[in-house]
Amino acid sequence: MNLVFGKYVPLNSVLHRVDPRSKIIALFVLLVAIFVPDSWWAYLALSLFCILLCALSKISAKTVLKTFKPLIFMMVFLLVINCLSIKTGDVLAEAFGFAVYSDAVFNTLKTVVRLLLMIIITTVLTATTKPLDLTLGIEYLLKPLRVVKFPVHEMAMMISIALRFIPTIIEETMRIMNAQKSRGVDFEEGSLKEKINAILSLIVPLFSVAFERAYELADAMEARGYVPGNARTRYKELKFGFIDAVYMLSAIAILAFSIFTKIYL
Amino acid sequence: MAITFKSLSYIYDKGTPFAHVALDKIDLSLEEGKVTALIGETGSGKSTLVEHLNALLLPSEGELEILDYKMVAGHKTKGLKMLRKKVGLVFQFSEYQLFEETILKDVAFGPMNFGVTPEEAQKKAVKALKLVGISEDLFNNSPLDLSGGQKRRVAIAGILAIEPDIIVLDEPTAGLDPKGAQDIISLFMKINRQYGKTIIIVSHDNDMVYNYADEVVLMSKGHVVTKKETVEFFDDDALLDEYGILRPQIVMFKKMLKDIGFKLKGENRTLEDLSKTIVKEVRR
Ligand SMILES: Nc1ncnc2c1ncn2[C@@H]1O[C@H](COP(=O)(O)OP(=O)(O)O)[C@@H](O)[C@H]1O
Ligand SMILES: [Mg+2]
Repeated sequence: MNLVFGKYVPLNSVLHRVDPRSKIIALFVLLVAIFVPDSWWAYLALSLFCILLCALSKISAKTVLKTFKPLIFMMVFLLVINCLSIKTGDVLAEAFGFAVYSDAVFNTLKTVVRLLLMIIITTVLTATTKPLDLTLGIEYLLKPLRVVKFPVHEMAMMISIALRFIPTIIEETMRIMNAQKSRGVDFEEGSLKEKINAILSLIVPLFSVAFERAYELADAMEARGYVPGNARTRYKELKFGFIDAVYMLSAIAILAFSIFTKIYL
Repeated sequence: MAITFKSLSYIYDKGTPFAHVALDKIDLSLEEGKVTALIGETGSGKSTLVEHLNALLLPSEGELEILDYKMVAGHKTKGLKMLRKKVGLVFQFSEYQLFEETILKDVAFGPMNFGVTPEEAQKKAVKALKLVGISEDLFNNSPLDLSGGQKRRVAIAGILAIEPDIIVLDEPTAGLDPKGAQDIISLFMKINRQYGKTIIIVSHDNDMVYNYADEVVLMSKGHVVTKKETVEFFDDDALLDEYGILRPQIVMFKKMLKDIGFKLKGENRTLEDLSKTIVKEVRR
């Protein structure tokens, strides 16, 4: 499994210790900050901030670069589309009666930079926050919605269960795949009929395992007195501290700078 | 010919922050035709080692020789699919691999993947199912409706039908009742004695290991600690104590007899043999 994007990386950095609520709010603030400005100054500031975040989170540059890799194709595709459709600005190059305009290149570049920045900040969030802490944070932030009878707690429970079982299901998938490979299934090659059979040999057992697990989990939860909707106390209470405030405020400062460049530059 | 591990290492998630050395420079040689038991605490790397035997995992470092195949780290080996026909691997909780509509079809699935005609595969499936003791009136039922123990037998039949030369079992009796476990072990003993197939079995049940295994390989923390003949292994008090290995009940019983000055002749690996020896000795 080479899933770097969206995966928690168990390290011990300052960012790992920041309150998930602060990180989630900062994520949204930064997302806005990325989409507001046109000025390259704002992007320079945002890039520097992202580099700082990566450094603080102790995630290696290699890991970050790896998340970019699958996007290269998309970027090239975008550039081609833009070159064909955007016909404003100066002519940069001309060949076979076909001109490439500066706006096409700059537009693409801007989209690419926005995309990369977005990926970096979401990666920083998911890599430094345990999935369960993340749902806990979301649950806290959505609490006001309870006023309109939105089942915040149940949603959060569902999300945490789903998150909890992703690695289990991946493991289960690998195991069943290995078991079927041992019975001569070739998951890479083969005719269409063989391929369908190969997929079936994986999907059917996977479903039966998943259902079995779901029943077992429901029983286990009931046996321990879980009743949906009942008031529950928490083992882990979130506390909003000094670094959490600093983190959130720096994200807001960046947003302010972005808006400033949008208006005055 | 032997199965030979030469300074083989395996690293999970190599080159990521999650990298984990599961096997560390394993040097090991297992003889064909024998029953070898692989024991060691959870996480010692038994499953990882076993998954190399049919090339589900390829060595990160070092090499493995098995049958006519040689797998060297960093090199591609051709024809790994055929290796999987010759080395049958029964997984831990193998009952989760069943998927066809009928038991018979599920067991015939393996042989058909290896290019056997449907008729021939069916014959092999019937033979394998009879061997594991599934009665004929169940053949057309869904495998998903069976009990846990029966599912496991069907899964084992699914590997036996492929007719491998080497059969590798990863904790085949985990979670079964004692009778079911005994039946499965007896089955593999029969396969070893009758057809001369090599059996490599990962097990936590030292009583059973003592009854049936020719040799014991002890693993700990990704290393092979030792490989010894079974009786000799369980006589090595220093080793058993160092690694906290439970002695089989028969071994403890024999030790007590010895302590009170009772002389025993022969190996006495099973309760049956031991009782006979005691009766003989008492009669004298
Ligand atoms: N798919 C995997 N990814 C990462 N680490 C693994 C994986 N499978 C096993 N491991 C690790 O490798 C070590 C050996 O595991 P395993 O071979 O399953 O041991 P055993 O079968 O003796 O219990 C353990 O520390 C385990 O956590
Ligand atoms: Mg194991």
